[in-house]
Amino acid sequence: MRATLIIINHNGRHLLETSLPAAVAAARAAGDHAVMVSDDASTDDSLAFVSREFPEVRFLAFPRGGFGGTCNRAVAAADTEVAVLLNNDVVVTPDFLPPLLADLEDERVFAVGCKFLNPDGSLTHALGNRISGEWRRGLLSLHHETDPDLLTDTCPQLYANGGGMAFRRQHWAALNGFDDLYLPIYWEDADLGYRAWGRGWRVLYEPRSVVYHDQGSTMGRLHRAPEVELISARNAVLFSWKNLLDRGLLRHALAQQARWVADDVLIGGLPNRLAALRAAAARLRFAARRRAQERRERVISDLAILARSRGEIA
Amino acid sequence: MSEPTRNVLLLTFARRGEERAIQRAISALAEVAPGAQVIAVGTPVSAPILRDLGIAVILVYGDGKPARQVIEEAQLFMPQTVAIVYDNPRFCAHLKLEALALLIGVRAVLRCPPPPQPASAETQVPKPETIGRLRLAWSVLAKGLLLALRLAAATVFSTLACSYLCWFGRPRGGRHARRP
Repeated sequence: MRATLIIINHNGRHLLETSLPAAVAAARAAGDHAVMVSDDASTDDSLAFVSREFPEVRFLAFPRGGFGGTCNRAVAAADTEVAVLLNNDVVVTPDFLPPLLADLEDERVFAVGCKFLNPDGSLTHALGNRISGEWRRGLLSLHHETDPDLLTDTCPQLYANGGGMAFRRQHWAALNGFDDLYLPIYWEDADLGYRAWGRGWRVLYEPRSVVYHDQGSTMGRLHRAPEVELISARNAVLFSWKNLLDRGLLRHALAQQARWVADDVLIGGLPNRLAALRAAAARLRFAARRRAQERRERVISDLAILARSRGEIA
Repeated sequence: MSEPTRNVLLLTFARRGEERAIQRAISALAEVAPGAQVIAVGTPVSAPILRDLGIAVILVYGDGKPARQVIEEAQLFMPQTVAIVYDNPRFCAHLKLEALALLIGVRAVLRCPPPPQPASAETQVPKPETIGRLRLAWSVLAKGLLLALRLAAATVFSTLACSYLCWFGRPRGGRHARRP
């Protein structure tokens, strides 16, 4: 299978200096694979840098489309069976690609996620490894595994982190890629994985495909601005409204979300939960449409999706 | 005869990045009650952070322990002063901690604002503010009302969302559908 390695870039010329050579080397080492930089309206000299240093790399410049929109356009522009999405701050190892392609030989597999390490090789606060989820307080609570002993085998996971994932383009097209309901960013990869499981496909975690992710360059999700926290919380609410198809679970989740707002006064901190709920309500119409579409495609229940993605049932 | 140990209480959520604020609160407590033992109330998550900050006695709640038991345990230490660490300079939210302080029955509350961000141009370090039991009760009452309002607003949003999602997803047609 041929693959296109797609690096998503926005004003990240300094990051491309490290990540692009690694991607090009990995593509060459694994055979005849393509590399593409998909640019989200950068105003720095990313284009000049790529054209000068890597003339064999396709550079696609798009108008501002957010993370999901830029990924969708880039995947549509690729012409290989497999696409590999990479953040511009993700540095791949030379042999990361073959295990991903081997896993995708199974047609039931939609996507495979890489093993994410910090630049020093540690796993502290690392995100994207063997992701699982459970419904808690009306929202999907995500767990990113950081125990190295539990990250040694290929196994199912809820979704593959959009910063380093390989997938079949045919399945991606059937799922309509990342949903623009979540624009500008956050939760689109979780949504994609959830929907893929809902259609009976699988998402895997591949520990042999190691990439290094400098989370400091993407704020590390540790100290995020209030606006960013608000978007993330709004999208978490939208995720439940769109994807929780079981009516009983949905009613329970919505009641829990009302109680979740009480934390604004009880404990404070970010995000402003009522503002997040209000922002989600502004997109309710779109969430309802996507939900209706999802209902037509879904073949597996909400609870079964989570159980399967944890490997509890086949 | 030795003097009985005096105790002061520290209430904080001990979130990541609040270490400096907690240290400042401990210093403020030491100024108000020199030589007093600092006791903290924490969760299984925050307890190690508080221990690292040098607090020896931590009353851990969560893991199914009822709040009433925590309050009774705290009352046994008979703290005269309590410091509450806020994450905002206007002392918003934190109703849970204020209500806890009120129920424990302390005489004075030190409200500790967060230190200014290192990048901030603000040079004035906000000082802890001392309030009495009456003002604390007033704050709890006002925030309780705010909580009720927010819960009402959130319930309206959730009910509307639920109704709309169920209405939009209802099966079209059915028994009363008009047939061509």
